[in-house]
Amino acid sequence: MEKIRVKYNINNSNYEVLIEPYKTLVDVLREQLLLTGTKKSCDKGDCGACSVIIDGKLVLSCLVLAASVDGCKIETVEGLGSANRLHPLQKAFIEEGAIQCGYCTPGMLIASKTLLDKEPHPTEAQVRKSISGNICRCTGYNAIVRAILKAAETNDVEEV
Amino acid sequence: MVELKVVGKSIKNVDGVEKALGRAAFANDKYLPGMLHVKALRSPYPHATITSINKEKALHLKGVKAIITGEDLNDNNHGAGLRDQTIMAKKIVRYIGEVVAAVCAETLEIAEEALDLIEVEYKELPAVFDVEEAFQKNPQVLVHPNLQEYEFSPNMPPKLIAERPNVYHHHIINFGDVEKAFLSADIVIENRYTTPGQHHVQLEPHCAIAKAETDGSLTIWGSVKTITGVRSFLSTALDIPITKIRIVVPFVGGDFGGKQDIQCMGIASFFSRMLDRPVKFSFTREEMFHCATIRFPSVITIKDAVNKDGVVLARDIQVLQNGGAYADYGYLTVRNCLFAATGSYRIPNFRAASYGVYTNRTKSGAFRGFGSPQVAWVVELQMEKIADALNMDPIALRRKNLLNEGDISPAGEQMFSIGVSECLDKVLEAIDYQNTVLNRQEGDWKKGIGVAVGNKYSIAPTAACATVRAREDGMLDVIVCIDEVGQGATTVLRQIAAEEMGLEVSDVRLLYEDSNYTSFDEGAISSRTTYNTGNAILLACKDLKKQIISKASQKMNLPPEKLDVSNKIICSIDNPDIFIQIGDLFKYNRLATGRYIPEGGDLIGKATWEQNCIPEDKDCCSKRLNAFFTHGVHAVQVAVHKYTGQVKVEKVVGAFDVGKAINPHLCEGQIDGGAVMGIGACLLEELIFDKGEILNKNLSNYLVPTVLDVPEIKDMKVFLVEAYHRDGPFGAKGLGESTMIPIIPAISIAIHNATGGWIDSFPIKPEQIMKDSKI
Repeated sequence: MEKIRVKYNINNSNYEVLIEPYKTLVDVLREQLLLTGTKKSCDKGDCGACSVIIDGKLVLSCLVLAASVDGCKIETVEGLGSANRLHPLQKAFIEEGAIQCGYCTPGMLIASKTLLDKEPHPTEAQVRKSISGNICRCTGYNAIVRAILKAAETNDVEEV
Repeated sequence: MVELKVVGKSIKNVDGVEKALGRAAFANDKYLPGMLHVKALRSPYPHATITSINKEKALHLKGVKAIITGEDLNDNNHGAGLRDQTIMAKKIVRYIGEVVAAVCAETLEIAEEALDLIEVEYKELPAVFDVEEAFQKNPQVLVHPNLQEYEFSPNMPPKLIAERPNVYHHHIINFGDVEKAFLSADIVIENRYTTPGQHHVQLEPHCAIAKAETDGSLTIWGSVKTITGVRSFLSTALDIPITKIRIVVPFVGGDFGGKQDIQCMGIASFFSRMLDRPVKFSFTREEMFHCATIRFPSVITIKDAVNKDGVVLARDIQVLQNGGAYADYGYLTVRNCLFAATGSYRIPNFRAASYGVYTNRTKSGAFRGFGSPQVAWVVELQMEKIADALNMDPIALRRKNLLNEGDISPAGEQMFSIGVSECLDKVLEAIDYQNTVLNRQEGDWKKGIGVAVGNKYSIAPTAACATVRAREDGMLDVIVCIDEVGQGATTVLRQIAAEEMGLEVSDVRLLYEDSNYTSFDEGAISSRTTYNTGNAILLACKDLKKQIISKASQKMNLPPEKLDVSNKIICSIDNPDIFIQIGDLFKYNRLATGRYIPEGGDLIGKATWEQNCIPEDKDCCSKRLNAFFTHGVHAVQVAVHKYTGQVKVEKVVGAFDVGKAINPHLCEGQIDGGAVMGIGACLLEELIFDKGEILNKNLSNYLVPTVLDVPEIKDMKVFLVEAYHRDGPFGAKGLGESTMIPIIPAISIAIHNATGGWIDSFPIKPEQIMKDSKI
């Protein structure tokens, strides 16, 4: 099958890549661009582990054909913060014990970032709804909910 | 008591930053140059003879590198204790999903395409799925006709039963005189319970990358745990000496007992050696469901003799474990699940029989609790029904029968470190048990609360080895063979080492993920790491201090007993102004490019922690059978919808007697996570089988709890009870598994209290509530 050329802006860097037209975004991110922070778990849109933000919208990258988002702005966990400048969500996740095995973490961070971008001061119910498509098998969720509420409280989310 | 500086502090998980940044690499995140990919062809039949496999067409597909079948394997079986399985089916398939052939190709897509071109002919055999049918004397179907010829661990020979040839192991505990006790009972309560197959649903699917090295050795990066165990299975299955297999374990995305299998690693390794290329084999979510191990479904019958004051006089329990097609770790759950029935209550006359039974279903294995959740749930429902029958407060009934410090359990075991009574106090107060009215109705919802206790033993005998090394800058290396699967072992073990050496956690480096430099450890099973590996590290640190002091004593000209090591210095006990740095024991080379210890090579401390038990007598009783027991209590409040049967878990309070909480924050994280996994077990999770086929092999049909199934932050509370264990490091015990045990019966009981009916199975589905309850 003939490959096609696509362009993305991922975490503020520009990428141009030749892809097979049937590849999903999660596979292109992970296998071709080696952005392995985005995780693959069910590959069917049931678990949220592969969540990314495309043009401001929360999207499951296992359900998106990579070719269909040519030219889009994509945000993944790698763009969230750095070791010496953690995103408030990352900081709060660590402090609240919201990370155990860490496999759902990138998806959880991306889902909650989408919420805080739109609603900087959410209620607990809004936080719960925002991550209701993301499965975590380790923490029991409430540590994650606490972390998101805490990150919102720190009030400096927009700065980052 | 010496004040603790690091132990007992809620230090943040040491790997948190790496994971938060998305940089923590899991096995599937690794891509090696020239790497090939694997897909497996799996049996559509639950029991069949493979009469022919034609792989010619598939081999001609461009990009296909090789195809293997069971015929390519050696003749060795492997297994945990009982060697009854191979990495692919040989001649006979025993469950739907068993690997019949595997393709290795340039891309995953090509491998997948090739699967359709492999032609397999089967001759179907009669199959058995129901555990009671398979258990029968002289059954129609034999799952393993050669069972008697299988090899086994000399330390645990299988107890077979000639007239029940599908039983691969059984275990019977006899204590007191059960028959006599039943004659003198005021009431006898007898019931039959069933439990489902449950899946771990680790977020990270199994994955292995194998790379044959030029010297004939093999390197495997795998999403696995129990490195020592899987390496031994691989050695048997692939005919490679143990030390030629190097297993490297990157971050593991959840385990819960389900990552001790070598199907993935074994097939990838076989191809890599055959083709001299790195090979990756990664399970799909569907493969996770029907090919990895599951929690054993069971049928449990129980009969209790009780006097009118609520004293349980005798208990007679039988567990039939649907082991599936291969025994796997289910070989040991047969015996060990019974400790859930011996670990909480003082029952003077006791008989427990447990049978592991082969069927033509997906194999059962280890899953958080190792059989205890099923048995503990039965015991707690019985306690509640006894209280109902006697019109007694169920808590008072439990308190009357609970084991106390020093008591002898119904397996003859002397019990210590029991904090269950304090756990009860805390939980009852938090849920306001005294003032909560049962059967309260609010609109269309009926409310009920349920309280249950539970316990989890930790295995013995077992062992852990640790080596610790002081570096020239005073930092400490701790070398152990442990599994970090998200539970926080790498943080807790660093805390133990740091405390003993007077260091900060950041001064301790843990080297654990590579079998090339680690020694034996049984691994993160049976909630054993903190206790066993923690003890080994503690002993190794004590040994290291001795070595350091002996060298410093010569240098400082002070007797060893007058010296102490802490915070990277060796100091005179009498005069703190007299000290040297650990680095002062090292000598510079001529060019000052490095430092070394003039004699002995390294500053090393080493130790083995061996947790022994006392051999069982003929009745399978002994004064010490286990390393420790962790006890806990859950109280829950549920609301049940009158017209739909929907259940909302509104409040959960949990308390566990952890011994010393080395890291309270991480303990609370385990308890939160265990409770939610228990909510899933009780209300949602069931593998639905139709003639051996799992019908719900995906996350849209096999539902696990989401955040919306969990009570709000204010309605979930956790308490830690520090019932010090005399043998634990700083008094600590293990915690992970116990946390999902009491919640399952607590929810069952709460639903009973809301609806008035009993449902003697789980998961409890709304339709069952509408059918079986008096709501």
